[in-house]
Amino acid sequence: MASCGDREYLDVVAFMKLALEQAKIAFDGLEVPVGCVIVMDGKVISCGRNRTNETRNATRHAEMEAIDVLLDQWKKLKLSKAEVSEMFSKCSLYVTCEPCIMCAGALSFLGIKEVYYGCANDKFGGCGSILSLHTMSCEEAGGKSYKCTGGIMAEEAVSLFRNFYELGNPNAPKPHRQPVQQP
Amino acid sequence: MNNCEDQESWEIVHIPDKPPFPPHQQPTVNVYAAVIDPKHANTLIRKLNQILPLENLRHVKRVRKQHLDEGSTQLSVILCLAGENNSQVDFIPQEVVGLIDSYQLDTFITKVCRYAPLSKEEWVEQCKIWPTSFHPPTYNISGITGFSQEESQLVCTFMKLALDLAKSKCQMVNAAVIVDPSTNEVIARACDQVYSCSCPINHEVTKNHDNMLLNSSATEEPKLSYDGVSCLNPWGWSNQKSCDSWHPLRHAAIVAIEDSAARDRNLFPGGRHDLTEIDHVEPALTSPSPKKQKTISMDVNDLEELNTRTNGCHPELSRPYLCTGYDIYLVWEPCAMCAMALVHQRIKRIFYAYPNPTAGALGSVHRLQGEKSLNHHYAVFKVLLPQESLNRGIMSLVSKGDHPKKPSNMPHGASL
Repeated sequence: MASCGDREYLDVVAFMKLALEQAKIAFDGLEVPVGCVIVMDGKVISCGRNRTNETRNATRHAEMEAIDVLLDQWKKLKLSKAEVSEMFSKCSLYVTCEPCIMCAGALSFLGIKEVYYGCANDKFGGCGSILSLHTMSCEEAGGKSYKCTGGIMAEEAVSLFRNFYELGNPNAPKPHRQPVQQP
Repeated sequence: MNNCEDQESWEIVHIPDKPPFPPHQQPTVNVYAAVIDPKHANTLIRKLNQILPLENLRHVKRVRKQHLDEGSTQLSVILCLAGENNSQVDFIPQEVVGLIDSYQLDTFITKVCRYAPLSKEEWVEQCKIWPTSFHPPTYNISGITGFSQEESQLVCTFMKLALDLAKSKCQMVNAAVIVDPSTNEVIARACDQVYSCSCPINHEVTKNHDNMLLNSSATEEPKLSYDGVSCLNPWGWSNQKSCDSWHPLRHAAIVAIEDSAARDRNLFPGGRHDLTEIDHVEPALTSPSPKKQKTISMDVNDLEELNTRTNGCHPELSRPYLCTGYDIYLVWEPCAMCAMALVHQRIKRIFYAYPNPTAGALGSVHRLQGEKSLNHHYAVFKVLLPQESLNRGIMSLVSKGDHPKKPSNMPHGASL
């Protein structure tokens, strides 16, 4: 974060705190505690939290939830696809844990501007830990890279995971129970 | 869901966890090694494993025993990784330098195999370079070692179902069919909904499609457009024409997962207490609790999919954890987003027909099935269609607008 100005860094931390609040709501709902907010022009325009247990759909990660909120909003405004694409290119995502390979791919397809994350995701991370989908852009197919900055309030994100897994994921059957983070 | 009369000409190929290499051409990495005095072997290996375990080379034996001509034996030990450019200024960790000094070791650079051997044949070849250990796969997913006639017939039946779904749209799309192989029940089926126009055929689009074919047939290389296949072109959603309903991330596999989750919520309603109870009784598959049967009989009628069971017997319905034990059939190799979604949802086997050279994550661009760190691993198979069946499929797609047209350049699996 050395390249950020003080003011800018304070903003980043403030947005990450909002993402952590989302993660805490997930935690209280017995979900793997990951949360995020999406910011455009300095304003939070969407937020999301992990809802995989509630939906029984393991793809309903915080990022996917927040993206769907935006798409619904923009479709109600009758924005065209080109306009929606333009909007995503102005969006920054703040998420408590590095996006997994699925979400990192989705963010690349949408053409998001940048991502700030809390802790790294050594098992599934798609922004540098396992794959680097944020830089792997297939340019002839219209892919764009996005900037990715990790380690923002990582301790807070990790301690939420630790608390969660100490309780045990109530919905995972025993063989799948992981002592490590599973965002 | 008819039987496949031409089943013999279909071929199912397992796509392994690592890129295929001939047994005698295994990729290698360089390591620093040294000949050691056998009486120091135990101490040295213990110390080396403590200070520098070979994390990504667990299949490589740390020590090599060689029989020399005079009948004596020689022990060599791997110290650490070396660079690939044979430069002498490689970084050797300080602790290792300490060992080299205190035991007065003469180091040399040698090669070891990068990947664990997948077969006994590979293992034999690898050991000629430096000994490795071979563990036959601990997971036992049926199909990896081959399919019976009956199994391959089912695979081809379900793949045809996916192909028919993909062709049912006015534009070529990807399609997904999730199947429970223990009952051969179709759990969910879906097409891409990235540019979904509500087919049956939209004449506007059909006309465009025809025009496109006409235009392209004027050029040197006429070919069908696969732009509408979401996993092939996941970045291009904003350039595609479509009707009101669209969503950049609703690829076929994602929609099928969503449908299977909806089915699960429908079949097994209730909160977490219910779930805990069902989880608890799950091992007693042969004697389901009365409560569970009641839940099932209430909801079965809502699900027409349950009628597609082919084996006639009433399977015991127990609530699965996500898609544990299920297979998915996809027309095209999935992109990274879809392939990871299928890891998250705990799919057991993936079958796809065409590779995806721009964005495929199961062998073409990435190889998720070989990412050891993931908490779940599925087996991946490519279903090679007989050329004839493929051509028939393309023809029927092209002729949708009442103008049967034979594309002069048939695409085939290898060139897609």
